[in-house]
Amino acid sequence: MSVGGLLVYHLNVNVLGRAALRVQRWQAERKAATGVSRWKGEYLAPPLKIAPRTKELVARHWLQGRYANLHRKVAWVTSGAPIELLKALDFYVLYPENHGAICGTARVAVDIATVAENAGYSRDICSYARTDIGTMLSGKTPVGKLPKPDLLLACTNICQTVLQWYRVLAHHFNVPLILVDTPFVYYDEATDHAIEFVKRQLEEAVPIAEKVAGKSLDERKLKQAARLSKLASQLWLEIMERNQHQPAPISAFDEFIQMAPIVEMRGDAVTVDFYAAMLKEVDDRIAHGISAVKNEKKRLLWDNLPIWYRLRYLAELLGEHGLALAASTYTNAWGELAPLIDPERPFESAARTYIYPILNRGTGHKLATMKRMVEAYHLDGVILHSDRSCKPYSIGQIDQRDRLIRDCGVPALLLEADHNDPRAYAEEQAANRLAAFIEMLE
Amino acid sequence: MAALSAVPRRSEIVRTQRERGGWIAAVLPIHYPRALLRAFDILPVEVWGPPGVDVSYGAIHLQPYVCSIVRNALSFLQTGGLDVSDLIIVPHACDSLQGLGSILIDFVRPKQPILPLYLPRGRRASDLAFLADEFRSLYRRLEEITHRSPADAELMESIRREEAADELLAQLHQRRKHLPLTDIQLYRLIRAREYLPVEMFSELARAALAQVAETPRQGIPIILSGIVPEPMSLFESLSDMGGLVAADDLACCGRRLYPRGLSDDPFRHLAESLLDAPADSTRGHPIKERLEHLLQLSRTSGAKGIVFYDVKFCEPELFDLPGLRKGLQEAGLPSATIEVDINDPLSHQTLTRLEAFLEMIA
Repeated sequence: MSVGGLLVYHLNVNVLGRAALRVQRWQAERKAATGVSRWKGEYLAPPLKIAPRTKELVARHWLQGRYANLHRKVAWVTSGAPIELLKALDFYVLYPENHGAICGTARVAVDIATVAENAGYSRDICSYARTDIGTMLSGKTPVGKLPKPDLLLACTNICQTVLQWYRVLAHHFNVPLILVDTPFVYYDEATDHAIEFVKRQLEEAVPIAEKVAGKSLDERKLKQAARLSKLASQLWLEIMERNQHQPAPISAFDEFIQMAPIVEMRGDAVTVDFYAAMLKEVDDRIAHGISAVKNEKKRLLWDNLPIWYRLRYLAELLGEHGLALAASTYTNAWGELAPLIDPERPFESAARTYIYPILNRGTGHKLATMKRMVEAYHLDGVILHSDRSCKPYSIGQIDQRDRLIRDCGVPALLLEADHNDPRAYAEEQAANRLAAFIEMLE
Repeated sequence: MAALSAVPRRSEIVRTQRERGGWIAAVLPIHYPRALLRAFDILPVEVWGPPGVDVSYGAIHLQPYVCSIVRNALSFLQTGGLDVSDLIIVPHACDSLQGLGSILIDFVRPKQPILPLYLPRGRRASDLAFLADEFRSLYRRLEEITHRSPADAELMESIRREEAADELLAQLHQRRKHLPLTDIQLYRLIRAREYLPVEMFSELARAALAQVAETPRQGIPIILSGIVPEPMSLFESLSDMGGLVAADDLACCGRRLYPRGLSDDPFRHLAESLLDAPADSTRGHPIKERLEHLLQLSRTSGAKGIVFYDVKFCEPELFDLPGLRKGLQEAGLPSATIEVDINDPLSHQTLTRLEAFLEMIA
């Protein structure tokens, strides 16, 4: 890293960028203070006051990324990866899945994915992967520019797809790939040898990451990163659990937007501060009787990834009928493992924490989670997004739906779509299915 | 060809095993420790779909974007096709097989015990240790189910028998051009390893290898890559077009040419053997290693082109394709891709593409 590069980084990120983002935040806060929402305000609460801060935080993260190659080593990681090790080694950590979601929300995913498809990547592979491979091949991105990775870290605890995807990245960028392979947990508990396997891989990852980072791992920093991850995850879990209150102060749509820091900035102090502030705002909402859906009549659970390009449409459609999306298995996944993190035993606890995400557990476990959520959040129905791009999340949903109806007595809808590719989503068909589902609820 | 006409049918073998009081394990794709099962007198009978079943039964539990191998396997189970088996083994090869294993355990709950098996995606010391432990764990489950406890010496004896058969299998692959077998006959013999007891397979393989001819078979040599060559009429079509499968990179065939393990510990020995098998997308090999393997196959077999024959929705294969094809092109080896659903006959369009490809490389 040259002195010139360092200067360019600080000028663009810490001076100009920071100032520009602060102004944008100030403007957004002023606009938010008017209580006017772009989304249908007659049915939905005004946006969270913290939203401009989220935008600033996330934009700053991607701005740092844009210039990161001038200043730090860069690691691209999967969303369920044990990043504490990388944080402790001062890597800039980038999440291609989050980038994919940004492209989906900004409705540029198809344009970018087409580049990958033209290069031979089938439309039958994950749309996040196609989007990011499209960016890798073309440089197209709504966040300005992605830094090149010095290291890749793929953890299979969310799917096997990420390994295939990261093999493609490793082949293209010709950089080391650390694999953390987490054996799928078919039964209630992972086997001892599976947990030992994950722990051993984490230990084996250290010298590889150290070599790329050009420095040795400081155990105190590792423990600190684990501590911050735990604190942020706990706060996130608390925020979501506030939605057990009736009416729900925020919706799962809010959670989909506000989850960005817990995914891409886990292990940072700023993330802890952010969620502490958000929790306070959610408590204020409860105290002042503000609900996500103004006239909450029924409460729903969302299963699987969001349909990023139709968030507003779905929020407004459900809001019009007084339906609050009070909980989601997807956002819950980023908080439910907080109790397993033990900063004093970073490797042992990481092995347990990172083997147990909902996506690395059996279909029966997910059903049990959904049943618990239906009970705890006082839910009246479930929407299961059958996501063409996410087989591990979607396989099992047909049986899960049937059992939710049978055992919990709640209506449950299987909604066919894709989290990032609108070409696999038929609006009219979805609208018809949702209308029938809403009728059942009413 | 005497050896081929003597290849017994799967149903015959299953019946014989039942009559002699042996156990049968239905085994889903792809990799598993065959010798471990045989030490318990369990005959593994592999389930690659099969094609031609009523898929609507699988659709009761699985979405349409799950591959036809997995959907058919579930349909086959639901329609009684696996009733003859005493247990079902579900090795972990991809997200879809993982999902199938999970819904079998949690929701479908067939009468047979379901034994999932996780296969690590690397080849590090930790992967080897884990896989050996995973095989030990499978051993304990088999002990509980069968009330048998084969000693290490029995395990090693079973391993030696299977390894000898694997060497014969490798010879069939290597000497294929000199065998008096058409491609479809050869692949029927090779795929008989999916259900034949080791003794019967070895006898057939030896009989075929005893008839090695001086003059090689002629044809436009290609490599076939993919998961499973279904429908098998593919081989007849290729032959009719003047093609010759000079080597394969099929998950059910060439990617299972396991070398001998080295350790004295039977579980570690089995793990070494499996981890050292040829590069395979489902076991997480880097694209570069797969590319080198394909180029090596083309050098040794004289293949002039590669046909990627993939089952629709197979992510492990689909992710590697562009990188492989680009690398092959740079090395001057043309390739073509064909996507199939194992339930469908080969379409006219597919046959035309194959024919055009063979003409191009001839």
